[in-house]
Amino acid sequence: MRQYFLKKYLPIQILLASLLFLSCEATLAPAYDQAIVEKVTVNSELAMRFFAEVDGGTTNESFAEREPVYNILIGAFESLKLQVKARPVPENVALEKINELLQAKGSNAISGEYPSAFAFEKIAETFKKMKQTDRENGIKPLALQAFKGQVEIFLDQAITYESFLKR
Amino acid sequence: MADDVSTIITSIKDIASNILEKDIATVRGFSERQLEAIAKQTVIIQKGIANGDIDEDLREFFLDGLEAMALNFINTLKGILIVTLEKLWNALVNFLYKAVGVVV
Repeated sequence: MRQYFLKKYLPIQILLASLLFLSCEATLAPAYDQAIVEKVTVNSELAMRFFAEVDGGTTNESFAEREPVYNILIGAFESLKLQVKARPVPENVALEKINELLQAKGSNAISGEYPSAFAFEKIAETFKKMKQTDRENGIKPLALQAFKGQVEIFLDQAITYESFLKR
Repeated sequence: MADDVSTIITSIKDIASNILEKDIATVRGFSERQLEAIAKQTVIIQKGIANGDIDEDLREFFLDGLEAMALNFINTLKGILIVTLEKLWNALVNFLYKAVGVVV
């Protein structure tokens, strides 16, 4: 009977022993940062207001009026990228073990490359390209819609990820 | 012992289900929004190229953008999954520690 229980519940005992051995709560993702979420909210509102103002397209004659807004938006999203990247991923035994498992299965290890940082970088690049196009030729209606769509998609990725960190 | 083990198993299943149900709902909403937005973006680019609003230079820029947003969509899902894994792990560790009478 004793043998039966030992055999049947061995996996659970091993799991329990492993957890006790690792003896830790794991931190696999960066900490939630309210300041980042608030800054994203403010700047996404600014970006959407700007898209509403230029709705229908622009001509390069009036570019000078818009240049300061482009500069604010580019600066804001580049700064957000740096702020997000500055958070370290905590190191601990559990994370090391998970990374070993991921690498053994041929997957990338969990690292400090955050999807929100990538998204903010792409948003800044989008506003840079938009500014250049606006200055040189003005922006035609469908090109403007494509710029807006690109910013919205990356914003959704960044906001979803950053909000999800609040556990 | 058998009763204790089945109680532990049931509790672990409940803990995991509660976390997974909530997180899967978030993932589903995000995925649906992203897929719809990426599809709309593709159509806008197609139309823009066809009517000349999007020139050769912008075409390359937006095509690179589509590739980057698809890649980051997957990476965002991976990031969310890692947070879920962390929640599951910690909930499980807390429960098991309590079960054996250890304070974490």
